Amino acid sequence: MFTTPLEELAVKVGKRSRIQIYFDILRILREELKNDKPSLTKVAHIANLPYDRFRKCLDKLIQLDMVSEQNGKFFVTERGFECINEYERINDFLVRMGLLP
Amino acid sequence: MIDIAILVASEIVSAGLAFALVYFFFKAYRLTRFVHLLGPPIGFSFLASSYFFLGMSLLYENDVAVSESFFWLRLVTQSFGFAFFAFSYYFSSKTERTTKFFLGLIAFASAISILLVFVALIVAPPFLEVPCINVLDEYFRIANLIFLGYVICHLVKHFEPSHGTISGLIWAPLAFSLLWLAQYSSLIWGIDGSQTAFVLAHVARLASLTLFIYVYHSSGRVGSESRKA
Repeated sequence: MFTTPLEELAVKVGKRSRIQIYFDILRILREELKNDKPSLTKVAHIANLPYDRFRKCLDKLIQLDMVSEQNGKFFVTERGFECINEYERINDFLVRMGLLP
Repeated sequence: MIDIAILVASEIVSAGLAFALVYFFFKAYRLTRFVHLLGPPIGFSFLASSYFFLGMSLLYENDVAVSESFFWLRLVTQSFGFAFFAFSYYFSSKTERTTKFFLGLIAFASAISILLVFVALIVAPPFLEVPCINVLDEYFRIANLIFLGYVICHLVKHFEPSHGTISGLIWAPLAFSLLWLAQYSSLIWGIDGSQTAFVLAHVARLASLTLFIYVYHSSGRVGSESRKA
């Protein structure tokens, strides 16, 4: 069982679609920002990703303007928040429709 | 007797609602990429087509050949639409590879069937006796009831209130039940010509499609409320 919402975000080991991995990183980063200490190593650990792979995903998210870097700190941008919101909405919709395994 | 314009309008509204659902479900597929999620947008595309074909069939009711041709297309597309829903729910717990294979197979089968109906309607010699369309309509409706019954049973069986509030999870089974009721009422109307059943079939179908759209929009609302909190 998950003890914190953040751990819950860490989600399943095993097969995840690439999109889901990116959304997990975004969500974990968002939660970590609430604690005001977004450590990348911790985010990678919670996301269950090797650091090099996590870094590649993060670079992609920066490239997509969903994450920004300022003075060595990482922030979820407005676009990133929009994506998280959209993903959560679709996920909720699919759960309500009984279509998620 | 209900005015034909009202019936055609009802079909057009149904087709519009179904097309909106195609967009919502396809968006969900595009975002998650689960293969079984291709079923609902394909299913609703078929349903939207079936409502359009029925509308056309009613519009050209004076021309029996054209009207019956559209009715045939409506029968086939509607049943394939419901079949896609049933297969989506069936494959929601299966592996991606199996799902991909079977969905491809069903899509191929439906395309071939619709093509065959088209070809048969165009090239079939007039002396060839085609089974009475009203009798076939009843058989197709029974098949639709079975497909929808499976979906409802699946939803009830996998009902897990821990996934969210009970009030949020109850709408999808209710919407499918209304679709089932619409098919059942149409079947009754086909057997005894009851006007009440006929009206109920249209009302239940429109209510069902509206409810599916409500499920999509309420999911968004709940999501944004929780984010604000």
